[in-house]
Amino acid sequence: MRFIKNYFMTFAAGDIITKISYLIMGAGCFLRGQIIKGLLFLFLQASFIVYLFNFGLGQLKLLPTLGTATRVEVWNEELQIYEYVQGDNSMLILLFSVMTIIIILAFLVIYHLNIKTAYNNQLTKERGGKLNNMIRDIRSLFDSNLHVTFLTLPTIGVVTFTILPLIFMILIAFTNYDQSHQPPGNLFTWVGLENFRNIFWNDPLQARTFVGILQWTLIWAFFATFSNYILGMILALMINKKGIRLKKLWRTIFVMTIAVPQFVSLMLMSRLLADQGAMNVLLGYLGIGPIQFLTNALYARITVIVVNIWVGVPYTMLITSGILMNIPADLYESARIDGANPVKTFTRITLPYMLFVTTPYLITQFVGNINNFNVIYLLTGGGPLSLDYYQAGKTDLLVTWLYKLTVNNQDYNLASAIGIIIFAISAAMSLIVYNMSSSTKKEETFQ
Amino acid sequence: MKTKRRKFSFSNLAIYIILSAMSVVWIMPILWLIMTSFRGEPGAWTPYIFPKEYTVANYTRLFTETGLFNYPRWFINTLIVAVFTCVISTILVLMTSYTLSRLRFRGRKGIMNIGLILGMFPGFMSMIAIYFILKAMGLSQSLTALVLVYSGAAGLGYFIAKGFFDTIPRVLDEAAIVDGANQNTIFWRIILPLSKPIVVYTVLMSFIAPWVDFIFVSVIMKDNYNNYTIALGLYQMITRENIYRYFTQFCAGAVLIAIPITILFIYMQKYYVEGVTGGAVKG
Amino acid sequence: MRKILAIILTLAMFGAVLAGCKKEPETITLKVWGSQEDQAMLQEMIDAFKTAHTDANYVITLGVVSEADAKTKVLEDPAAAADVFQFANDQIVDLVNAGALYEVTRNKADIIAANMEGSIEASTVNDKLYAYPSTADNGYFMYYDKSVFSAEDVKSLDTMLTVADAAGKKVFMDVSNGWYIASFFLGAGGKLTVGEDGKQVCDFNNANGVKAGEAIKAFTAHNAFLAGDDAVLTGGIGTTIAAGVSGTWNAEAISEKLGENYAATKLPEFNMGGTQAQMSSFAGFKLVGVSSQTQAPVAAMELAEWLTNEENQIKRFETRQMGPANINAANSEEVKANVALAALAEQNQHAVSQKEVLGGYWVPAEAFGTAMEAKDYSKTIQEMLDEMVAQIQG
Repeated sequence: MRFIKNYFMTFAAGDIITKISYLIMGAGCFLRGQIIKGLLFLFLQASFIVYLFNFGLGQLKLLPTLGTATRVEVWNEELQIYEYVQGDNSMLILLFSVMTIIIILAFLVIYHLNIKTAYNNQLTKERGGKLNNMIRDIRSLFDSNLHVTFLTLPTIGVVTFTILPLIFMILIAFTNYDQSHQPPGNLFTWVGLENFRNIFWNDPLQARTFVGILQWTLIWAFFATFSNYILGMILALMINKKGIRLKKLWRTIFVMTIAVPQFVSLMLMSRLLADQGAMNVLLGYLGIGPIQFLTNALYARITVIVVNIWVGVPYTMLITSGILMNIPADLYESARIDGANPVKTFTRITLPYMLFVTTPYLITQFVGNINNFNVIYLLTGGGPLSLDYYQAGKTDLLVTWLYKLTVNNQDYNLASAIGIIIFAISAAMSLIVYNMSSSTKKEETFQ
Repeated sequence: MKTKRRKFSFSNLAIYIILSAMSVVWIMPILWLIMTSFRGEPGAWTPYIFPKEYTVANYTRLFTETGLFNYPRWFINTLIVAVFTCVISTILVLMTSYTLSRLRFRGRKGIMNIGLILGMFPGFMSMIAIYFILKAMGLSQSLTALVLVYSGAAGLGYFIAKGFFDTIPRVLDEAAIVDGANQNTIFWRIILPLSKPIVVYTVLMSFIAPWVDFIFVSVIMKDNYNNYTIALGLYQMITRENIYRYFTQFCAGAVLIAIPITILFIYMQKYYVEGVTGGAVKG
Repeated sequence: MRKILAIILTLAMFGAVLAGCKKEPETITLKVWGSQEDQAMLQEMIDAFKTAHTDANYVITLGVVSEADAKTKVLEDPAAAADVFQFANDQIVDLVNAGALYEVTRNKADIIAANMEGSIEASTVNDKLYAYPSTADNGYFMYYDKSVFSAEDVKSLDTMLTVADAAGKKVFMDVSNGWYIASFFLGAGGKLTVGEDGKQVCDFNNANGVKAGEAIKAFTAHNAFLAGDDAVLTGGIGTTIAAGVSGTWNAEAISEKLGENYAATKLPEFNMGGTQAQMSSFAGFKLVGVSSQTQAPVAAMELAEWLTNEENQIKRFETRQMGPANINAANSEEVKANVALAALAEQNQHAVSQKEVLGGYWVPAEAFGTAMEAKDYSKTIQEMLDEMVAQIQG
């Protein structure tokens, strides 16, 4: 609201040049001598207008209905074929509308910046000051405004490859984009909250499946994260302990498992652990009956966690050894002077320091495990499948379940709805943990 | 590094035993992979464990019989994508995390929280949308598109690096400012040289992604076989029609991917040890 | 003035005549998708097509998308799909629903007459023909080891199990897979159809279905039963495995392992509550379709027809041992002499179209098979089948 208020107040207070820049962007710059900056603004405005009228508005116009023209077929007697006149493609309309909206928002930010600059220039002139020239502007981008320089590229990347698809996916959950409404042959349209109603109320089987899979997803994420964290840290401490030789060799051994692509190692694992796999052949030599590592529900759940330790511990080892070595030596020095024993040093210095530094890592890991598609999908495929669940198995996570829903049934709407729920859960959880955790509160403790 | 002769230590012995045991568990599947890659008999499964005959044909055929599976070409594609991905990702990650860790500006907390939430979004759900965005940019089915997919949103992975930057003492910056450095110079001259471990970590992680992803690349490349990366190419060897004949070659291909990555890791390791321990914290 | 006009006119006429003479042949660009293994063969077919069609300048490129992936790749972005692509018949309903296939109207009668009834049925949706049949080999049947079983033994599943057990060997079938497990239910007379409302209708939980379920239970509980995937079959046949259910894609591997004991036949009969019933199967075909978004529909259709004509179906058989859907080609001596294809043809007489199987069928059917393989008998067969059918019907 402050922006809107400022918008009018600045207009009222602005001189004629500032007022012109409300209509012609950059006027407040190039009319006051900042030629390059002003032309940049003007160029952005021109390209925006070209984009909007050539493409953007056409898409936005179709957004409320997501298209009305279905495909038409006309019989061509001479060629003996139907000729198809392609209709609207609801999916592309939705995607490009979202894109247009984002571009409009970005333009508004630049527009706002344009007015602010024009007004500030006016004030500077009135005070009799000298305006920044291009060189000084650029210089400030590398000093006091370094954050702008450094964040621009990452932001563009994130907006294009995360935010835009994210909004698109969220909106799909409110449409009927499913098996019988697939573009380009068919249109889909808005249905409001119906998909969410289906998951939670209308279908007891789906609701039961959702609750069951959600529970397992959380259990899995907890064990997968902390087993890796603790074992990885212990491993790193052991390897980094003074007096342990061949540090390089030990690290290399564990790192080799990272080097083999995950889809290969997981596929090998699933072959090794299959009912007829090498592990059971080996156990057979030892006279132990075949163990259903992957086909018994409980064993399969344990197996995926154990295999995940195999997959993940080397990563934790790497990241923690990096940090362990970065612990300020004087902290240890003073502890030694105070006469602390090794255990005390660990609990007083090493552990708090590690937790402080790695809380973000833990959160990323936890959420990463909630969404750990690869390990589950490649190892068990979600199996053993169960008739208790709707189109799912006992090791299925929410992500693998929704992947199956899209691949087998083309239920994109349902999958998006589930996606939103996963997203909401992980986002809420990590926001709370992250903002409560010591690592944000005491961000500067160790600085 | 001085190596002193230490007394025999009981705890060290225990550690050696544990490390050895763990190494066996970790290395076993890898050994099995290597063994299979030298197996003479075809097929994805055998009722016995040790191969009856050994051969290097699985390796040589990867490079000689390129009509069906063009392994060398895929290898080079992947290498190109991986190099560019890791350069771009590393730059994006370091810029983002450094800014959020050490610069102070309005909206920093907000950006951090938004970044945190966005990083949680399961990437593969947005594949189709990303494909159409790239197509609109005129980039579909190209290696450039793939580089953008892997590195575009890399900024969101700022957490770990930010955690690292948080631990570098601020006095260093202040001293530099007194010496007349601007924020940009502080980043390049002071902070970056101290940050080798995290740089190495970021480089490694982003370098690996193109070697192991097979989902995104299949959506982006579609029928453009010549632009496949190695993971997707290898995946073609284990389809229903091919798995019997090509499984051992598939294993050989996987071993060959593992070699450069392992070497890279071994080479980068020294930064973990030497780069940091003697670092600035002394001052 | 008049002179000038005359010259101009003459020049113009001359120019027009010249242009008429020099009429460039139209350039038609087409793209074809086929699996990687087929590329060389397809290229030969395309070269022959170009030689036979000189009316236009054809620029035809090949892309790699296997039959199994065609639906996924086409639906991801139909505008980027090839003009002509090969796909497996179970994808046709989804492709038609998404409006991705061009209806086949040119030479329709000839195509229908030339190919097997089943293959035409598999290419037809809502009484409209949408694809050109190219092979009839995408189904499954029984491979066996002649040194273990006699031709008489393999007629009955029970006999096979007894004989195999006596020989200390196994009978292999991937029961935890909806595609294979359906052979029992369909053999017991079960129906899997699409109802008026577009939803799946399934009666696998009626009295006959339960008998089929009991037969699966007895089969999986037998000492000589072995489950697993293709790799287990191809790895173990001839040594630990004496017979297994699979398709033509494993023919080469299995004949190599079994050598002179290599044999194949239709699926056996199973014991359905006291009476013997023939196991059914899903009939499978590979088809060639034309994208509805093609810029040159006539040329694309001509090419699709060319790729699937009798001559090229024979070529497919000769280069890649693919069973033809073309009636003449299928009746050739060479095709009939192929052990695996002969067995498949025999089994196809008991096969059911896979067209009315919707996506929701596979997971519940696999779940039932998984429970059977794991010998999880905590519920009765009737209860399990009721649950399975409830899920299949969504």
